[in-house]
Amino acid sequence: MPYLYNTPEDQAAMLAAIGARSIDELFAMIPADMRLRRPLAIPPAMSEMELTQHMTSLAAKNTHAGQKVCFLGGGSYDHFIPAAVDELAGRGEFYTSYTPYQAEVSQGNLQVVFEYQTLIARLTGLDVSNASLYDGGSAAAEAVLMAISSTRRYGKVVIAASVHPEYRQTIATYLENLGVELETIGTPRGVVQPHDLAAAVDDKTACVVVQQPNFFGCIEDAAALASIAHDAGALVVAAFDPISLGLLKRPGDWGADIAVAEGQTLGTPMQYGGPYLGIMACREKLVRRMPGRIAGQTGDRRGKRCFVLTLQTREQHIRREKATSNVCTNQGLFALRATIYLALLGPQGLRDTANLCLQKTRYAVERLCEHDRFELAFDAPTFKEVVIRDRRGRVDELLADALAAGFLAGVPLGQWYPELHDCFLIAVTEQRTRNEIDSWTHALAKMT
Amino acid sequence: MKPENLLFAKTHEWVAVANEGGQKIATIGLSAFAVEALTDLVFIELPKVGRQVKAEESFCEVESVKAVSDVYAPVTGEVIAVNESLPDNLETLSSDPFGDGWIARIKVSDDSALANLMDHTAYQKQCEE
Amino acid sequence: MRNTRDTNLLFELSETGRRAHRLPACDVPERPVGELVPASALAAAPPALPELSEPQVVRHFANLSQLNMSVDTHFYPLGSCTMKYNPKRNERVAAMPGFSDLHPYQSEGTLQGMLQLLYELQEYLQEISGLDACSLQPSAGAHGELTALWVAATYFRDRGEKRTKVLVPDNAHGTNPASAAMAGFTTVTVKTLPSGTLDIDDLRRHLDNQIAVFMITNPNTVGIFEPRIREIADAVHQAGGLVYLDGANMNAILGIARPGDFGADMQHYNPHKTFSGPHGGGGPGAGPICVTEKLAPYLPAPVVIKTTEPSPDPSLQGRETDRYHLDYDRPKSIGRVRAFFGNVGVLVRAYCYIRTHGPDGLRRVSENAVLNANYLLSRVKHCLPVPQGDRCMHEFVASAAKVKTEKGISAMDLAKRLLDFGFHAPTVYFPLTVKESIMVEPTETESKETLDAFADTLIRIMEEDADLLHDAPHTTPISRPDEVRAARQPMLVWPETY
Repeated sequence: MPYLYNTPEDQAAMLAAIGARSIDELFAMIPADMRLRRPLAIPPAMSEMELTQHMTSLAAKNTHAGQKVCFLGGGSYDHFIPAAVDELAGRGEFYTSYTPYQAEVSQGNLQVVFEYQTLIARLTGLDVSNASLYDGGSAAAEAVLMAISSTRRYGKVVIAASVHPEYRQTIATYLENLGVELETIGTPRGVVQPHDLAAAVDDKTACVVVQQPNFFGCIEDAAALASIAHDAGALVVAAFDPISLGLLKRPGDWGADIAVAEGQTLGTPMQYGGPYLGIMACREKLVRRMPGRIAGQTGDRRGKRCFVLTLQTREQHIRREKATSNVCTNQGLFALRATIYLALLGPQGLRDTANLCLQKTRYAVERLCEHDRFELAFDAPTFKEVVIRDRRGRVDELLADALAAGFLAGVPLGQWYPELHDCFLIAVTEQRTRNEIDSWTHALAKMT
Repeated sequence: MKPENLLFAKTHEWVAVANEGGQKIATIGLSAFAVEALTDLVFIELPKVGRQVKAEESFCEVESVKAVSDVYAPVTGEVIAVNESLPDNLETLSSDPFGDGWIARIKVSDDSALANLMDHTAYQKQCEE
Repeated sequence: MRNTRDTNLLFELSETGRRAHRLPACDVPERPVGELVPASALAAAPPALPELSEPQVVRHFANLSQLNMSVDTHFYPLGSCTMKYNPKRNERVAAMPGFSDLHPYQSEGTLQGMLQLLYELQEYLQEISGLDACSLQPSAGAHGELTALWVAATYFRDRGEKRTKVLVPDNAHGTNPASAAMAGFTTVTVKTLPSGTLDIDDLRRHLDNQIAVFMITNPNTVGIFEPRIREIADAVHQAGGLVYLDGANMNAILGIARPGDFGADMQHYNPHKTFSGPHGGGGPGAGPICVTEKLAPYLPAPVVIKTTEPSPDPSLQGRETDRYHLDYDRPKSIGRVRAFFGNVGVLVRAYCYIRTHGPDGLRRVSENAVLNANYLLSRVKHCLPVPQGDRCMHEFVASAAKVKTEKGISAMDLAKRLLDFGFHAPTVYFPLTVKESIMVEPTETESKETLDAFADTLIRIMEEDADLLHDAPHTTPISRPDEVRAARQPMLVWPETY
């Protein structure tokens, strides 16, 4: 076995010290009739070379985004990752360490968390951030629970249909057994209409959940929606795209009380959906309701600045059934990647990235919609994603043909929005060149 | 207040009941023993004024770095005042536990639970065990 | 030789106008931003991120990394966390673009290798647990617990039963009661005996028609296998409840005993522990769950299924091949517990780990994990009593209560002093059922020499002057932090104007 040290001599010496005749004897506390009396029915062991060959052949059965031009979005994006992110996050001192319970030998991780929290606070315009949650979807669900417990309103949660459908499904699962209703407001024009929201919120509403830019890529009138929620005494939970904040107003600046995001865009590969980075930030008054770990600055016994996990009484290992959440593991490695990514980009890099996404998306739309077959589904302004309608209503065939022509051309929307069965969602990141956009347009236009 | 004049709960709360204008008012705090045992308190979450509490129900929480302790109401009634200065001056809990370190005042609607409380001597005995 | 300049905060190192990552010029006709986005949605300026050069960023994080202990650099016997070696081959494989550069909404036809891997992993996890069905969706162990409790809640609702209570032993991980509360259940605590095993009489007192689930960790959190687990499971089943196995300690029983065979209806895995996905400084994890046949319809959607059908590849001329699909058609499913498929990167590593070991190898992993733990126990029990006895599974819980009384040396003091000798501390003060507890899990990937060195050090520091220990550690980048100040006056972000 490749990762075991004990030689037969070691084993004999160790058994002698223990006072056991055999390793089998060490398992005596497992009653004999519960022991497995056969080998596990799994394939035999592989050497490193065999494993690498096997995995290479499995990988070859996939088509990855480097082999086709990727226009897929919907919460996971083909953004560029600078080499320094991989190099630094690939250091064993980071990725083979664990939660910094012993602060004296974890200052590296703790300082990274503190820096991450600061970056997220500045990014969102909110006061505090935690050390991360699992992903954007479960972060949204945790934010909803946090809003319910801090408002003590157990009536309902209002959510826009323009919020990521899988986030909405996740929230529905989290609320299913708690007796809190989840009311969805339709967004037939691609964005929430303020009067629809006003009609939905009441004095039993814990929070309103909106996404900015929303799942369709559209820019909501977020400040107006936030003030409607606040007038009813409800909190505002905002899902956002971190990249968009190079240009768009920060959630805290338009009225969000809790902001959550999928942080995959900040330097984490798409890796078929996870692990990603659940970002959560909130206003200071809500911090004691916030789930997850939090690092804080303090001093050591010699007065030296240092960092520790703090406000731990919120957490499950202390408060058990009364904890703010059951969350234990966070996404430390991806919080690290986001911290490195943002340090490399700086304010101008983030702005440039956002601007390239905006400009290229606009260009892609204009080129594609030169062809009669395609039109924008919604007229609201957009950021890096848009919904395109195929007037021939042959979305599945279109996307399959486009794949054969070399493009991951878009995400069909009928699976979540039956009324948008003739539509697909496209995302254009800073990585897409004019050439790629032109040839994608060309390929889609000539499909039958 | 002198601890000798107070009643104590098994869960370390102290109570002073006074008759104010025909109303029984209970002032509640944490014993010096409890505050010391909790070590280095960092946070207190006071109940809201107006809250109805039942005897032996947790109505307040005090936190140290790695522990949370419930404060249980010794009587049934309505919270009519809380010690607003405590959250910012937690050291009061240890410097003057039986005086300025009071936590809340409850307008008593049912004081039958008082019968379960101990006097100071009995309480000291419990602490020694 | 420590570089303390470059480990200043990013915000202190920042200098206006400095820049690392530069983007290419816009190669499409550019329009003024104000024409594309309404003014009300635009920020006046980008967020106040630090401005740094690339070499600065690299030096900053490289130096920070060196302030950590890690499995790559140190013995890390953190009980309950299974800090085993993280194979480098798994890292390289998982980084292959064929796995790491896949978008979650690609079509099935472009994902056949990935779906095959995930399907096979489902099968392996079912076989190792002795259970019938698997969901790979949960993101971490606690998330797996929560998912399983939702499965249970939905199962009972479907049967028209109203069951409201979840039982957990008093030495359970805090995640168990917290998950139960999140799933809408009331938690009831069951006592354990001084021997460390469950008080079955106390369990029986709580069993009634309100019981939904009994959650148990086995081997339990003091490193003991519950010998009467089947009796426990039978009692819970007779009351109409389900048994949930917290799989945190699976590293002790791979190929030796299977939860499904000793009465569990559901369990989660912690692949980042048992199957060596690295811990990442606090995550990511993954929390796949396995369940019995009757609970399978309630698992989150989608799961991966396999069909045999004519190949779409024209060169194979319609020959039958295995095809893998995402099955969303699960009308009784609890729904989604997160966005996208799951923590696939962690699952790929778990798959690699299982394929590297095979049936015999997995069994030897557990045998050596248990051997190492028992050996270390035999080395330290004379000076550090182990209340639950002379034998353990993959970890044991010692108590510093005696040395605390005699010399004033606490479990925390010992933990801190170990750091000075280049050992990460064991878990301390968990479980709460043991006073001054020190929970040691050496794992199978440590040598006898390392275990000896650790035991020698522990024995030696117990002879040291108590004051030296109270002030420990002495050689680490910082001394003990002021946690009271951190909690009383929380400073959670660096201020923008400092």
